[in-house]
Order: sequence, then structure tokens, then C-alpha cells
Amino acid sequence: MSETIEEKLKNYKTAPFDARFPNQNQTRNCYQNYLDFYRCTKALTAKGVDPLPCDWYRRVYKSLCPMSWVQKWDEQQEEGIFAGNV
Amino acid sequence: MTKQMHAFHMVNPSPWPLTGAASAFMLTSGLAMWFHKHSNTLIFLSMILMLLTMYQWWRDITREGTFQGHHTSLVQKSLRYGMILFIVSEVCFFFGFFWTFYHSSLSPSPDLGMMWPPKGVIPLDPFEIPLLNTAILLGSGVSVTWAHHSLMEKTHKDMVISLSITIILGIYFTLLQGMEYFNSTFNISDNAYGSTFFVATGFHGGHVIIGTLFLTVCLLRQLMFHFTSSHHFGFEAAAWYWHFVDVVWLFLFISIYWWGS
Repeated sequence: MSETIEEKLKNYKTAPFDARFPNQNQTRNCYQNYLDFYRCTKALTAKGVDPLPCDWYRRVYKSLCPMSWVQKWDEQQEEGIFAGNV
Repeated sequence: MTKQMHAFHMVNPSPWPLTGAASAFMLTSGLAMWFHKHSNTLIFLSMILMLLTMYQWWRDITREGTFQGHHTSLVQKSLRYGMILFIVSEVCFFFGFFWTFYHSSLSPSPDLGMMWPPKGVIPLDPFEIPLLNTAILLGSGVSVTWAHHSLMEKTHKDMVISLSITIILGIYFTLLQGMEYFNSTFNISDNAYGSTFFVATGFHGGHVIIGTLFLTVCLLRQLMFHFTSSHHFGFEAAAWYWHFVDVVWLFLFISIYWWGS
């Protein structure tokens, strides 16, 4: 990839094809990017680095995931009952 | 006196298939009564009927074979096929539970956090009690083979000792598993981990108990000198069943206890 992350974010239209999730059911695509956003943010802020690259994952999950799921997971994270490993 | 000109066993009319079928019907409908109408009567009656059926039917088979001589080598051959086919059906039964386990654990769903074991589940250490249980069952496989050879070599006392050891090991396994169940931090209603774990190991434990009972019946029969050194199919059937139980445990140990942790 010859684009920088800033360029990729600027040119973002919608979630691109992800070969890890080739089929019609994109649930895991949504969930994986949701997890990756929070993991990325946690890791980069722990290192004291600007978490801008994590924004990619946020864009993708916001494009893919149903809002109700995101709200549910956000609430679970706040209550400490989120099942994923962040 | 008319003789039969074939080696097959034409069994006398018997009520036990009917009572067995009736008890199976009452068991299933009794289960529904228990679930939906909070009534234990039907299922309780069906269990009594089932136990009576088993006792009397197998007693009759012993009478026909050991005392009346109806079990020619041809009859014994068909009994062997029967036991083998039954064990094959049991393999199919457990195959389903292993399928379920691998379905849930190979690609865990987002509801489980896409991880296995799921967050919050502390799996049992496979190298503590489960490893001991593996050694116990493997050892009991050795002792039951010793019992078989003692039987074939006409050393009655050795056979009684080695079969008793096998039974004691079976009971020891059951007690240890019971302790593990009591002391585990998760139960059957804790997500897919709990379901797969307890259904698979639970049915296995039930089969250990059945196998132990079968071996105990063989011990009692040996003490009453039912078996000869060349004709002892009841014992062989029990030993096959016991080896099957051991093999299922090995698969459980490797898949659920070890890989699944």
C-alpha cells in the first residue's frame, strides 16, 4: 500500500472488501473491526502515541455494524460485561 | 422328542420386550410430564419398570445361555455382531457431541467474544485431576485385559482379583469426576462452554457408571462359575464396552480438557 494512513482516511468512502470475510454474513467483519478499534486505541494510548491509525477501524465498523449492536457493546463495555478481549 | 435341525436359538415368548417398550414410552412422556406438569409419577414408574425389565430380561438370557445351552457358537456370533453394532451406535451418539463442541470452539461466535474459553470461564487444569483420570482409565483397560487372560487360562482367583481392580478403578474415576463437578467454577448454564463440557463429560460419566455395573455383573457371574475358559461372551461384551468408554475419555481429554483450555 503506497498510501499513508491519513490519505486512506481522507479517501474513505465505505468499508473495502476484506478477504478474511468473503461471504454474505459480515457479522464477524463488524465485530472484528469493533474489537480492533478498541484494542488499537488501548495499545497506542498506553504507548503514548497518537491513536489516529485506529480511526480506520472505527470508520469500518461504523460502516458495517448495526447501530443497535454498537450501542449494546458500548453499554456492555461501560458496565464491564463486554465478552470480547480488549 | 423333536430336535431342531439348525443352530439358531428360537427364543420362547417373553414379556420383556413389551415391558421395555412400555417403559421407554413412559420415560419420554414422563419427561414431558415432569417438564410441563411438574409431576414425577410417570417417570418414576417408568424407571422402576425399566429396571425390572433389564433385570429379568438379562437374567433370562443368562438362563438360556449358561444353564440351558442355547448359545451355540452361531448364536454367540450374532450376539457379538449385536454388541458391536450397539457400540457403533454409541460412537455415533458421542460423535454428535464432539461435533457440537468443535462447532462452538473452533470459530467462537461474537456473543462469546470470539474467544475460547470465553471470557470469565476458568477451565479446569487438564494436568491435574483429568490427567489422573486418564491414567485410571488406561490402567483399568490393562486390568480388564489381565482379567480376560486369567479367565482364558483358567486362573479363577486372578480373574476375580483383576476384575475387582477394574471395577474399583471405575468407581474411583466416577468419584473423582464427581468431585471435579462439585468444585468447578462454571456450570452447565454458563454459555456454550458449560453446555458442551457438561453434556459431553456427563454422558461419558453415565457410560462409565453403566460399564462399571456391567463389569460388576460379570464379577458376580464369575463368582458363581458361569464362565468357562472358552465361552464367556458376557464378559467380552463388558470388556469391549469398557474399552469404548476409555477411548471416548481419551478423545474428551484431548479435545475438551486439553485443546479446549
